[in-house]
Amino acid sequence: MSGTQPLTVRVSRFDPETDEEPRYEIYTVDANEGARVLHVLHAIHDDLDPTLSYRYCCGSGQCGSCAVRVNGEPALACMKEAEDGMTVEPLNLPVIKDLTVDLAPLLDKLAASTTADDAELPTKQEIEAIKPLRDCIECLSCVSECPAITVAEFLGPTHMRQEMRIALDPRCTDDRIEKAIEEGLFTCTTCQRCVQVCPKQIKTPGRAIEKLREIANRRGLTLPRHVEVANLVRDTGRSVVRTEATFLEQVPEVIEPDAPVRGEVGFFVGCMYNGRVPQNALDMIEVMKRNGIRVIVPHDQVCCGSPLIRTGQTWVLEALKKKNIEAFESRGITTVMTMCAGCGSTLKNDYDTPFEVKDVSEILTEYGIEPPEPLDLRATYHDPCHLLRGQGISAQPRELLRMAVREFVEMPNQCCGAGGGVRSGLPEEAAALGKLRHEEIEKTGAEIVVTICPFCEFHISENTDRPVKNICSVLLEGYREKDRKKGGPAG
Amino acid sequence: MHADDVVRCHVLVIGSGGAGARAAVEAAAYGDTVMISKTLIGKGGCTTMAEGGYNAVLRELDGCPMHVEDTLRGGAYLNDAALVDVLVTEAPERMADLVRWGAVFDVTDDGQVAQRPFGGQRFPRTCYAGDRTGHEMMMTLAERLRASPVEHVQETTVIELLRDGDRVSGAVALDRRGEMVVICADATVLATGGGTQVYDISTNSAAGTGDGYALGYRAGAELVDMEMVQFHPTGAVYPYDARGRLITEAVRGEGGVLLNAAGERFMHRYDPDRMELSTRDVVARAIATEVLEGRGTAHGGVYLDVTHLAAGTIEERLPIMLEQFLQFGVDIRTQPMEVAPTAHHLMGGLRITPDAATTVPGLFACGEVTGGVHGANRLGGNALADTQVFGKRAGESAGRAPVRVHSVDIARVDAQYDRLDAFFEGTAPPSTFTDRLKLAMWRDAGIFRTEAGLRSLSATLTELSVEKPKAAAPANLLECCTVENMIILSSLIVSGALLRRESRGAHVRTDLETAWPPEASPFGHTYQSLRAKGIEEART
Repeated sequence: MSGTQPLTVRVSRFDPETDEEPRYEIYTVDANEGARVLHVLHAIHDDLDPTLSYRYCCGSGQCGSCAVRVNGEPALACMKEAEDGMTVEPLNLPVIKDLTVDLAPLLDKLAASTTADDAELPTKQEIEAIKPLRDCIECLSCVSECPAITVAEFLGPTHMRQEMRIALDPRCTDDRIEKAIEEGLFTCTTCQRCVQVCPKQIKTPGRAIEKLREIANRRGLTLPRHVEVANLVRDTGRSVVRTEATFLEQVPEVIEPDAPVRGEVGFFVGCMYNGRVPQNALDMIEVMKRNGIRVIVPHDQVCCGSPLIRTGQTWVLEALKKKNIEAFESRGITTVMTMCAGCGSTLKNDYDTPFEVKDVSEILTEYGIEPPEPLDLRATYHDPCHLLRGQGISAQPRELLRMAVREFVEMPNQCCGAGGGVRSGLPEEAAALGKLRHEEIEKTGAEIVVTICPFCEFHISENTDRPVKNICSVLLEGYREKDRKKGGPAG
Repeated sequence: MHADDVVRCHVLVIGSGGAGARAAVEAAAYGDTVMISKTLIGKGGCTTMAEGGYNAVLRELDGCPMHVEDTLRGGAYLNDAALVDVLVTEAPERMADLVRWGAVFDVTDDGQVAQRPFGGQRFPRTCYAGDRTGHEMMMTLAERLRASPVEHVQETTVIELLRDGDRVSGAVALDRRGEMVVICADATVLATGGGTQVYDISTNSAAGTGDGYALGYRAGAELVDMEMVQFHPTGAVYPYDARGRLITEAVRGEGGVLLNAAGERFMHRYDPDRMELSTRDVVARAIATEVLEGRGTAHGGVYLDVTHLAAGTIEERLPIMLEQFLQFGVDIRTQPMEVAPTAHHLMGGLRITPDAATTVPGLFACGEVTGGVHGANRLGGNALADTQVFGKRAGESAGRAPVRVHSVDIARVDAQYDRLDAFFEGTAPPSTFTDRLKLAMWRDAGIFRTEAGLRSLSATLTELSVEKPKAAAPANLLECCTVENMIILSSLIVSGALLRRESRGAHVRTDLETAWPPEASPFGHTYQSLRAKGIEEART
């Protein structure tokens, strides 16, 4: 055995029968090298306070009893390595006592399976399809972090996983798709938070929710507003109606930079930046020109298909994919830049592209940009779900934003409510999530909110009184401020 | 005690692991069934953690006689032949139940349940769902139970069985807050699983504290072969706090090799024919010997290596192992695991008939808490089959028990109040008792045993049983009851080990010469109850 070291940890204590609210207690214990959070809890319970309540059982990450939040993030206490200074709190579920939360009522709502008495062994192919949904250890971390549950009638991600497991199994006799809809199938914003916190990395939105929505679509149960969007894409190649001059109508196919050419990217504009908020994309073009990056914009590109995948309407998808890939491949483009988090996530995760796909924040930080004049503002950043979790991008936008404003303040990350077809299909839920964003924005005291997703920009601005800006627009303002101070040409 | 504090049912099932859940599914067909468990369903017991597989004869080339023979040979011929026959004959039927109920076992390209080789078996008959086989079974049983009328009382722990005359008539339990619950039943099924948490190094979940052995013993039931403790050859050795964590036999089944610190594939010196896929007792002793003789690793283990397998094979067949080791900083695709033996399974337990009846009327038992099925050493893959075969039989037998007029033995319930009250006057925290007990058990009732060591251990256990663990609050009463259960179980293991004056299967007495091969042993089961203990002569 290796040596021990003292660890000081903060643990949330709460007995709803006697306490008005939770409090934190600080404990110092001796822990062995490599000790897990659970072993620290054992040490507290055995040596310092036997009344500490926490649930555990298998000790090897297989039973899902011991999920807690460690420094705010859900983790299995038996697998997560303990660290000095950590804070241990219960999952965001009703607390029975201290770290023990009430799992049983939620587990009881997982769908039961009814199989025929003469059910036969599925084929290998059928089994392989179900298996990824079967790894769930029902720790309910996903339920505890799901934003939709806080504002809508939704049982939870793992309940949808269970519904899809039943839907995929030829032995299960129940047709439960209407039940899944009742349980909240359409309330999921596909924010991927459930995947991020899942100890088994089960891709519930992609493998269960979007697939259940496909089944619903085949039964004619898709939300009417979503059907309209799909028909619009089928008829126009775009998911938004043209109301003003589009981005593509305003720019040439090749946009040469002002500065010496340092690089070249193809630009996948996406429906929102093309038709709804083209100015933000035009601002991005100015930033590229100033930084020596040539932008090629194939005019025959169409909708990426994201709104259709998210809502289970994949019947037009293949045609869109083919058209988009050809548009860039035929021009010899090797790097395609997206600015819309949803398009970027879709091209990266749902396409098999012969070119590399990068978000605008990746391009700008990789090439390095001319520093702008920092705007005299306190700004916060909203992580778009499809950028943070869909593409794993969080550092680059912050790096850019720190250059662009006087003061940058963080706020806790949560879905704004615009994704997964929720904004169009269930606007009340989307607004309720938007309001939660507003509350967090207020807490930061920020004067502006910056993000890189047209859906987030549009949706948050409807729900907060602060201006919501794209990072490129903020950079451009900084360049203009710089030029104005120098008395040089305005950008 | 008010009448409305009493739950009444036809069948009470204690435990919600593989055996208990299967018993409850079956019993529900006969009348009101209550399943009570100290954990949440799917989260307790060891079935959920069972990785490797489920033995069943499914192929033309295999055969029940061969499975019987493998099981008896593996069990050093101490098994009850009648129980083995039932296990082997019905394991395929119970597998078919699971498949019919939606279990997602791996299947072959030609559409049969896939099977892998496991130790001590001459045919690859171990069915599996990757390396999360038990988890898959529990998910299936939980799905089934959710669709059934079984009432499930969760996180409520039985602390004593109720008696009505010489019959068991239900149980007294404590809920999470330390409040007492009384349940009366026409028949009771004990399915509380194993108890190797009495050892310092153990694969068992925290629930594996041997409650059922103690409950059954105190209720007058007879237990057999309690000295037979299986040490799984491959438990984790690092990090220290996660020591004992199971490294599934499937690792060796898929081709993993054991190497000592010098890089020698040492199994050729212990069992050159079967090598790594010898029986668990043999492999565990081999590893222990390598370490004792100075050929172990720095962490006190040996290497278990799968780096010669294709990365894809490891990812598909051993995903849980891969994931667990990655979390502890080892990539088993490129680095060897370090392993050492760990207390895994109790072959001994309550004596049962093929219908899962114990020696006490009204009390049935199934799963690891029973004895006789696995003899002196259990084959990997036979335990999961055991849970289903005898779980069904216990549920059915209990379901068929006659309906009775329930009367609560108030004196016995009151005795429990007195027992609990005394814990508030205890002398030391429960962990003080269990820490000392686990280390002493590991040292003197481990892989190698001597009479002197067992006698000294027995004295330690007596000392521990004289003192009372202290409950700081009502919620801690349960921990105190558990300490008592662990001391009783340990005492049963130790007296069994003293009674058996031979080395056989998992039980090795280094202070005795065993002059016979197991099949010629003059001894049968050791037996222990409140009334008597001893060792039977071999049946001829």
